[in-house]
Amino acid sequence: MPARRLALITISLLLLGCTSRAPSKPGNTLIYGRGEDAKTLDPINAETGETVKVLLNLYDTLVAFADETMEIEPSLATAWETSDDGLTWTFQLRDVVQFHDGTNVDADAVIFSINRLRQDDNAYVTDSARPYKPSFNIIDELVATGPLTVVFKLREPSAVFLNNLAMFPAGIVSPTAVKKHGKGFSTNPVGTGPFRFERWIRDQQLVLAANDNHWRGRPHFDRVVFVPVSESATRIQQLVRGEIHIADNLPPAELDELAKNPGLTVAEQISMNVAYLSMQTEKPPLDDIRVRRAIALALDKQALIRVAYAGHAAAAINLLPKAMWGHHDGIEDRPFDPDASRTLLQAAANDKGFKLPLTLSLAVMSEPRPYMEQPLLVAAFVKDSLAAVGINVTIAPKPSEMHFTKLMRGDFQIGLTGWTTDNGDPDNFLYSLLDPDNISDSGNNTSRYRNERVHELLLAGQRELDPNKRLPLYHEAQELIFADVPIVPLVSTRQRAAHTSRIKDYRLHPAMLIRLRQARFGDVP
Amino acid sequence: MSGFLLRRLFHAVVTMVVAVSLIFIAMRLLPGNPLVAKFGQHPDAEQMQRIIHEQGWDQPILSQLGRFLHQLATTGDFGESISRSNENVSGELARRIPATIELTVVAMMLAIPLGVAAGITAAVWRNRWPDRLCMAGAMLGVSVPVFFLGICLRAVFTGMPIGFRLPAFIIDFEPITEFYLLDTLLQQRFDLFATACRHICLPALALSSIPMSIIARITRSSMLEVLGADFVRTGRAKGASSWRVVMRHALPNAAAPIVNIAGFQIGLLLSGAVLTETVFDWPGMGKYVVDAVRENDYVIVQAGAFVIAAIFVSANLTVDLLYLWLDPRVRTS
Repeated sequence: MPARRLALITISLLLLGCTSRAPSKPGNTLIYGRGEDAKTLDPINAETGETVKVLLNLYDTLVAFADETMEIEPSLATAWETSDDGLTWTFQLRDVVQFHDGTNVDADAVIFSINRLRQDDNAYVTDSARPYKPSFNIIDELVATGPLTVVFKLREPSAVFLNNLAMFPAGIVSPTAVKKHGKGFSTNPVGTGPFRFERWIRDQQLVLAANDNHWRGRPHFDRVVFVPVSESATRIQQLVRGEIHIADNLPPAELDELAKNPGLTVAEQISMNVAYLSMQTEKPPLDDIRVRRAIALALDKQALIRVAYAGHAAAAINLLPKAMWGHHDGIEDRPFDPDASRTLLQAAANDKGFKLPLTLSLAVMSEPRPYMEQPLLVAAFVKDSLAAVGINVTIAPKPSEMHFTKLMRGDFQIGLTGWTTDNGDPDNFLYSLLDPDNISDSGNNTSRYRNERVHELLLAGQRELDPNKRLPLYHEAQELIFADVPIVPLVSTRQRAAHTSRIKDYRLHPAMLIRLRQARFGDVP
Repeated sequence: MSGFLLRRLFHAVVTMVVAVSLIFIAMRLLPGNPLVAKFGQHPDAEQMQRIIHEQGWDQPILSQLGRFLHQLATTGDFGESISRSNENVSGELARRIPATIELTVVAMMLAIPLGVAAGITAAVWRNRWPDRLCMAGAMLGVSVPVFFLGICLRAVFTGMPIGFRLPAFIIDFEPITEFYLLDTLLQQRFDLFATACRHICLPALALSSIPMSIIARITRSSMLEVLGADFVRTGRAKGASSWRVVMRHALPNAAAPIVNIAGFQIGLLLSGAVLTETVFDWPGMGKYVVDAVRENDYVIVQAGAFVIAAIFVSANLTVDLLYLWLDPRVRTS
C-alpha cells in the first residue's frame, strides 16, 4: 500500500535524522544576536543602528573615531591639512590599501564615494533617499591632485566637517563593485574594512569574513554572523545556552541578572546620548516659562534613574551628554523641589487665568530607544511626579515613527524623546535639536524653541575652527538654554551588552559604534 | 460542473481585487508614510518631498490604486521595497513563502491526525472522561494565545532550539527550493535535516494548537451525528467490529465538514502564522509583512496582501472542489 510505504519512509528518514550527529560549531566564528536585521549594506542609505553595526566592520572612512573616545584619528587618510580660510582640506591617503575585491584605494575612489553621497544627480545612486546627505552639502567640490591626494573644497568653513567624514555614510566604497553590481551593491558591498562581506539571507543571517589584508592587521575572528532575534527574552535564552555569543539591547533588570552568570560578562560603557522631555513652547500653557520651570522642578532625576533605568544612567543637566566635549560643567542643576514647582504653577495660573490642576498630554514612543529602554515606565514616572504638583498627565503612547512625526510637527504638549550622537560634536545636539533652523514638519527642534542669541552662537560655533574660541560659544548657548527651559534633560544612559566570557577585548564605544576588529575568543589561539 | 467552477473562479478574482484594493487604500489613509521610517531621526524635508513626488504618493489614492493594479496585471512585479534599499519584493516573497508553507504543512501534519483522533475519541466515548479530557484540551488550545503558548513551550522543552530554521553558525548550506526540510534531504545533509526538524518542532507545535482544537471539535460533532445514523446501526448489527464501524463507515461520512474546516484552517495558517513567526523568529512571509506594516512600507504590505488573499482564495477554492468530490449531493445540485 503506497500510503503505508510513504509513512514508513518518512519515519525512517526522521529516525535517521535524529540519530545522525548534530552539526558541529566552527571554533572561531562570532555569533552576534541583535533586535533586528540591517536594512541595506550601502553606507549612503543606512540610517538604523542595526544597519550601522554591520557597516562599521565592512567599510573604512578617511578619518575615524578612536577606540573608546570621540577623538578623530587617521584611517584611510594618514594626514590632512586645512587652508587658513578653512575652505580647503587636503587629505593624504594611505599607500596601497586594497578593497575586498582586490582593487586599490586611490583619490578617485574617495571622490567617487563622497560624490555618491552628496551629489543630487549622481549616476551611481540607486536609492536617492540618503538620510545623511544634508551633513555633506557643505562640500562644494572634490579634486584629486595626485594619485593619493584628495582636496575637498567647502562652501564655508566648518568645525564639524572632519567629524562628519568619520561617520559611516562617508565610508569609502569600491567604484568597480558599485559599477558592476548597480542596484545589487546594497546586498553585495565592497569596502576596505576589517571584515569582508560573505553572505546575507535577510532576517536570518548576515555573514562577514575576516579581511586578511586589512591595513591594521587581520581581525581575530574568522567570521562574524549577525542574527536578528526580535524578542529580547529569546536573545537572553540563546545567550545563556551558548547559541549566540553577544546579545545587545537587553532590558536593564535582565542585564543585572545576566551579570551574575559566571559564564557571561556584561560590558559597560558611557553613551553619548541624552533622554529629555520636550515641551511645545509655542502653545499655551507651555509658552509660559514658569510652567516649564515648574515641570523641571517637579522631576526627581535620581528617582527616575532608579525606577526606569535600574540605576544604570546618570542625571543629565544639559542637552549635551556630560562626557562630550563642550559640555558646560559650571551649570548647576535645578533641585528637585515640588513646593517651588507648585508656587510657580500657581503664579502662572493666576496670571494667565487657567485653572489648576492643569491637564497635559504626554507623548511617548511605545518601543525602546537606546537612551530610553523602558519609555512607558519613564512616562508613568513623569505622570506621577507631575500629579504631585498639580498637573494631570494623560499618557499618549504611539509607535516610534508616528510618535516622532507628531513631535516634529509640534502636534503635542509634552513629549519624551532623546538623541544619540552622530559625530561627537556639540553642534550635532544643540543645533540639530534646539536651533530655529530646525523647526519644521520634519525638523528635530521639537520644542520649537526660538532664541536669537542662541541661534547666533550656534551658527558661529559651526564656523569657528579653533576649539578654544568655540568652547565659550557653546557654554553661553547652554546657559541661555538652561535659563529658558525649552526641554528638561533627564538622563544619559550607560550602554551595556552581555557576552560570553570567552570573548576578550570587546569594547563598547560611547557613540555606540560596534567595531569587532579587536575582539577575540580568549580560548582560540 | 464547469459553470460552478467558472462561477467560483470569478468570485475568487473579485475577492482578491477587493481585498488588495482595501489594503491599498487603508495603508494610504494611515498617518505617516514609508519615508518616516527610512529617514528615522534624520528627516530631510526637501528630499522626502522629492521622493513622494517620484513615487506618486501625492496623487489621488484612486489613481495610485489604478496604476498599481495596472502594473501588477501587466508586469506581475510588485516593485522595490522602500525601507530596504533596492530590495526586490517579489524575490524576497518567493524566498519567504516556502518558509511559511513549510511551517504550515508541518503544523497541519500535527493538527489533522491529532485533531481527528481526539475528535473521534471524544465522539466514541461521549460524555465520559476521554471526551471531557479531549474537549478541555481543545478549549485550552483555542483559548491560549500563541505568544503565551510559545513562551510555555520554550520553558518546557528547554533542550529544543528556539528561533531560526537552522542554527546561525551554519553558513555552508545553500537552499535550492527554500523548503529546508526538502533541501537538506536533496543535498543528503542528514545532520542538517535533523537540525532543521528540531528547529521546526516548537513553532509548528505552537502554530498547530488552534487548528488542532478546532478540528477536534468539528470531528467530534460531525462524528456524533453520523454515529447515530441508521447505517452505523446496521453495520453494528451485521457484526462489524467497532473499529471498522468507526473508521470505515462513520469517518468517511463525517469527513466533509472536517475537510472543509481543515482547508479553511490551512488558509488561515498560511496567512496568519504571523504571531508564531514573530515569537520564534521564523523568517516567513507573515513576519516580513508585519515588519513592513510597522514601517509603513507600502510596497511590501501590498504584495503581502495580494499573496495572502491569493492563498486564502485558492485554499477556499480547493476546499470547494474537495467537497464536490467527497459529497455527491453537491455535485448533482
